[in-house]
Amino acid sequence: MSLTETQTTARAHTGPDWDFITRRAKSILVHGIVLALVGIMLLPLIYMVMMSFKTSTEIAQDPLGLPDSLYWGNYMAALSSMGYVRSVLNSLGITLSVIVVVVFAGAMAAYPLARLQNRTSRVIVMIMALGLATPNFVTITPIYVIFRDIGLLDSYLGIVLAFAALKLPLAVFFYTSFIAAIPMELEEAARLDNCNNWQIFWHVIRPLLAPVTATLSLFVMIMVWNDFIYPLLLLTDKDKLTVMIAVYKFVGNTGIDPTKLFPAAVLGSLPLLLMFAVFQRKIMAGATAGAVK
Amino acid sequence: MAELSLKQAVKKYGNVQVVHGVDLEVEDGDFCVFVGPSGCGKSTLLRMIAGLEETSDGRMTIGGRDVTHMDPAKRGVSMVFQTYALYPHMTVRENMSFGLKIGKTPKAEIAKKVDEAARILKLTDYMDRKPKALSGGQRQRVAIGRAIVRQPDVFLFDEPLSNLDAELRVEMRVEIAKLHKQLGATMIYVTHDQVEAMTMADKIVVLRDGRIEQAGSPAKLYDDPDNLFVAGFIGSPRMNFFDATVMSTDNGQTMVSVPRLGDAPLPVQVTQALVRGQQVKVGLRPEHFAADGAMQASLDIDVIENLGGVSYAYSSFEGEAHPVIVELRGAARPSKGGRLTVSFDPSAALVFDDDSGVRIR
Repeated sequence: MSLTETQTTARAHTGPDWDFITRRAKSILVHGIVLALVGIMLLPLIYMVMMSFKTSTEIAQDPLGLPDSLYWGNYMAALSSMGYVRSVLNSLGITLSVIVVVVFAGAMAAYPLARLQNRTSRVIVMIMALGLATPNFVTITPIYVIFRDIGLLDSYLGIVLAFAALKLPLAVFFYTSFIAAIPMELEEAARLDNCNNWQIFWHVIRPLLAPVTATLSLFVMIMVWNDFIYPLLLLTDKDKLTVMIAVYKFVGNTGIDPTKLFPAAVLGSLPLLLMFAVFQRKIMAGATAGAVK
Repeated sequence: MAELSLKQAVKKYGNVQVVHGVDLEVEDGDFCVFVGPSGCGKSTLLRMIAGLEETSDGRMTIGGRDVTHMDPAKRGVSMVFQTYALYPHMTVRENMSFGLKIGKTPKAEIAKKVDEAARILKLTDYMDRKPKALSGGQRQRVAIGRAIVRQPDVFLFDEPLSNLDAELRVEMRVEIAKLHKQLGATMIYVTHDQVEAMTMADKIVVLRDGRIEQAGSPAKLYDDPDNLFVAGFIGSPRMNFFDATVMSTDNGQTMVSVPRLGDAPLPVQVTQALVRGQQVKVGLRPEHFAADGAMQASLDIDVIENLGGVSYAYSSFEGEAHPVIVELRGAARPSKGGRLTVSFDPSAALVFDDDSGVRIR
């Protein structure tokens, strides 16, 4: 027995381990492809940051080259002319308000839809699906006309309501599938514990929605923060403009001012990136929730 | 604590009736076990008692109160679910106190009741843990604790041990039996495991297809079953059934012929009038075969199951749905493939009608 093992070991050292080499090569290839894809995705971001530190001369002479130094003057100029703090606060307020409305209304709408397996609930889910599939541009005109008629143009309430209505189907979809996976026994136990429907939702279902709420909030946050069309159409007061509209101020009718546009774009994206970095773990937990038991 | 009464309880889903006019009385403080094969309606009946399923027809009382259409929380019942159904985001203490908190019980009283339940169930060290940090047995204890703190009239258990491993199941079985003794509460327990039913119950209710086949003490059901189904379901290994023909009914003594057990006529103890030539089934439990007995039979043995203190010999025969099972004790154990001569006392044999399966007494 021991002689055979020695012979086997000796044979293993006589030539290269091709299995190991093949596995290693495949691993390097896969990592290389992933890194290349990440690079491609990061390219516009890198370009934006790079351009934001260039002087107007550098931009004119070598638009693709690296900046000679980190020139902060562009940021100072952008900050002073775009009303940065005000616009960020506007974006933040609108985004958070939309998230709160969408999360509460979506979860409450999804709870009965997930539990009632009848024709009416299926029809409502189908209508929600239509809402999700409808392009944003289709709803712009009716929303504008309705808001004009009821006096909601150029108001925070109007923009929040418009975004909430547009994002609600997404929330209902998120929550319906998640709630449907929550065991009925939990609700039955709560019913025996003297809970009414509202108490079951509030004390038992709602706390279990935390991971999916984090993910949904991220999606809504990105969509609302970056949205350009609706704030442009529904808001005219410069004190109510969102940060993306403020950035667009540097795109003129006859040309653009890159020394202000790029730093403004960086500044406009910064709060979103920071929030994503802070909540990343929770968001990923929600995105993968339910994948394994 | 209170007694439970069901009168002609019916459950229908649309046109499909799954519980057919069940009549049942459970005495105050009884441990009553619903047992039966999958789909027999035992869990549905339990959920009807809990109020989680609407009773389509009939009447249900707990402690004399009509609870037929009452809200689950107002019935005075607590339920332990098969999947535990613990609130995952709450600690053990929060899980146990939740019902009382919702019922606006004073905080001091909640703490007292929860601490007492935790002491009984040995959960004191785990009160600040969440369910995911507990073992299966501990989770089951928390589920029971949640039921205890509400001090219900009737405890309901829906296959509470089926998710536990065999060893823990035996342990928890003993714990629940102890708890019943300690609390003196009325408990209704659903299981498909007839060993659980036999070991825990004061009263067993055997269900099949939404009907009660027989209800009574474990000994009554084991020794004196009403029909073939109960005789076959209660007891492990199951009772042996043999095709038999009535040979004579002279002088009040009925003799039957059981070809599978040899040529000798078998005297059976029945008082009901039988007709010569009538086809019947004769039932003998594996332990009714012994070293000494008035009758003898010879069986070809194809499998021996040795469990240590006891062995089971299996004798299959072409065309038979189930093999004949013989319990063997003592040193003399035949080998597989051998022929075994066994004795039995014919007075232990039970007789059933061949068509209806009803016991002939």
